[in-house]
Amino acid sequence: MDIYLPIAEVSVNWPLLVLLGATVGFVSGLFGIGGGFLMAPILIFLGIPPSVAVASQASHVVASSTSGVINYTSRKLVDYKIGAIMALGGVVGALLGVELFRYLRLLGQADLAVALSYLLFLGAVGALMLYESLGQILRRVRGEVAPHKERRRPLWLYGLPLRMRFPRSGLYISVIPPIGLGVFVGMMSAIMGVGGGFILVPAMLYVLRMRAQVVVGTSLFQIIITTAMTTVLQAGRNQTVDIVLSTILLLGGVVGAQYGARLSGRFRAEELRALLAIIVLLVGIYMGLELFVRPSDLFSFAPGIAE
Amino acid sequence: MIQALPPPPPAIEAPAPERSVATTDQVRVAAAMTDARVMVDSSFRGASIVLYGAVFNPTARPADVVVVVRGPDGPVRLVKKTRNMGVWLNSRPVLFEGAPGFYMTASTRPLGDIADFGQLRRLGVGVDHLRIAAPEESRTVTRYGVRDVVVSRLGEDYLDYRRAVIRLREAAALYNSDPKGVQFVDKGLFRAEVDLPAVAPTGQYFAEVWLFQDGEPVSVSNLTLTVEKVGIERDIFEFAQRRPWSYGVLCVLLAMFTGWAASRIFRRN
Repeated sequence: MDIYLPIAEVSVNWPLLVLLGATVGFVSGLFGIGGGFLMAPILIFLGIPPSVAVASQASHVVASSTSGVINYTSRKLVDYKIGAIMALGGVVGALLGVELFRYLRLLGQADLAVALSYLLFLGAVGALMLYESLGQILRRVRGEVAPHKERRRPLWLYGLPLRMRFPRSGLYISVIPPIGLGVFVGMMSAIMGVGGGFILVPAMLYVLRMRAQVVVGTSLFQIIITTAMTTVLQAGRNQTVDIVLSTILLLGGVVGAQYGARLSGRFRAEELRALLAIIVLLVGIYMGLELFVRPSDLFSFAPGIAE
Repeated sequence: MIQALPPPPPAIEAPAPERSVATTDQVRVAAAMTDARVMVDSSFRGASIVLYGAVFNPTARPADVVVVVRGPDGPVRLVKKTRNMGVWLNSRPVLFEGAPGFYMTASTRPLGDIADFGQLRRLGVGVDHLRIAAPEESRTVTRYGVRDVVVSRLGEDYLDYRRAVIRLREAAALYNSDPKGVQFVDKGLFRAEVDLPAVAPTGQYFAEVWLFQDGEPVSVSNLTLTVEKVGIERDIFEFAQRRPWSYGVLCVLLAMFTGWAASRIFRRN
């Protein structure tokens, strides 16, 4: 039941990969996220070289996001205008990120960059999300009314030039913050191999203050463009995309995503968020742990050969 | 500062006794492998090849057989984790050259019993005698009036690094030494197994079968082995290497198509 992966140059158990794809797909459908943050660490744990894992699973994110966007488009819940502007930033970010990652690999510091980004971003987002959703659950249990939300928009965002109207999101803001957000997420996508939904969604909700209904669909649309760009760049610049690996993951992933999406209606939003927060936090801590635990072997091979 | 050992000549240049004419009074060895080509396809999980041969030994003195198989050389970059302010960080990568991608020895006895250190080093036989070096780290200096002393920038760590290359490869089953790997099945007939793990690099492998008598090499037989990707694996690999941009675009299109197809199929249900 093993299959040899031509680019990763290792042989893996393929039913296990299908199952992994299905599980991550299920999680991504359930929470409306790409699931890349979960997939990359598990692939590395299974013995796939990290650079191949990060690059190959990006196309898994493309597939699950495509499914999602089609779904949200049919319900008119995608703001293509702001999505395209963020994607523009995302493409620039992906270009910068792939070059940065290439340079870090040559320095032998790619592991450090990956571990640190997981620890920082997943740790911070997971902790914030857990705090917020637990608070909401507690209030509901106690029967309290949610405190009045501060709806005033931050001045620094709205004082910027180049303002544009985004009717579907209910916004009239400068294009600089969405582009900046896109660049940031594009870079993360290249370094961590994630779509970046877990950063995008809160940023779009709380910083850009878009209408909540269009946030997930629009973020998925932006993620398709950014991760598609990352995949092409990783293949073109680093030759680290394994089409056999990504296809196996895809097959499980798209099926899992559909079942996850169906099940998500049965839970309350804050319960789902609390659960997602725990997963995000655990993955962040797991990936960051290698910085603090004494390695079993002090030496290791660094990928990439200086040209 | 550890002085790098003077590099021994490569095994290929070692004077192999001329054995062009079969003579009955001379000690010699002949060998062959069950497979001269190993094909890496989608079901590849490593391969086990049997190397077999015969020893012609008309003399009364016993002879030892040593089988050496080496894969294609490739530079490796090694990093060492060090603790800085409670965090384990990688050092700068050190480039090592001369490390074969695969290396195994099999012999009738431990190598140290068959021949002495100098002889093994000269022939490059044994994991400890590989010519692994970090040329970018070394420079020649004059020390205590002695010219052309080779010192390494890695200083005392140099041997640790060098040993780590071997240890990491041994952990991946790429380096292997079996002091009982050559077994005599009948008088003068021996066999040894060459186990290639799934991570074995592709390329040309060289096998040397040495015959030692009283610690001296008396005969050698050279064989080659090719490990290559075949079928769809080869096509995919070559496509990814030669047309990387089209390959990337294809991957993305495939992913988008799968996502689209999934949403179509599941909507109908």
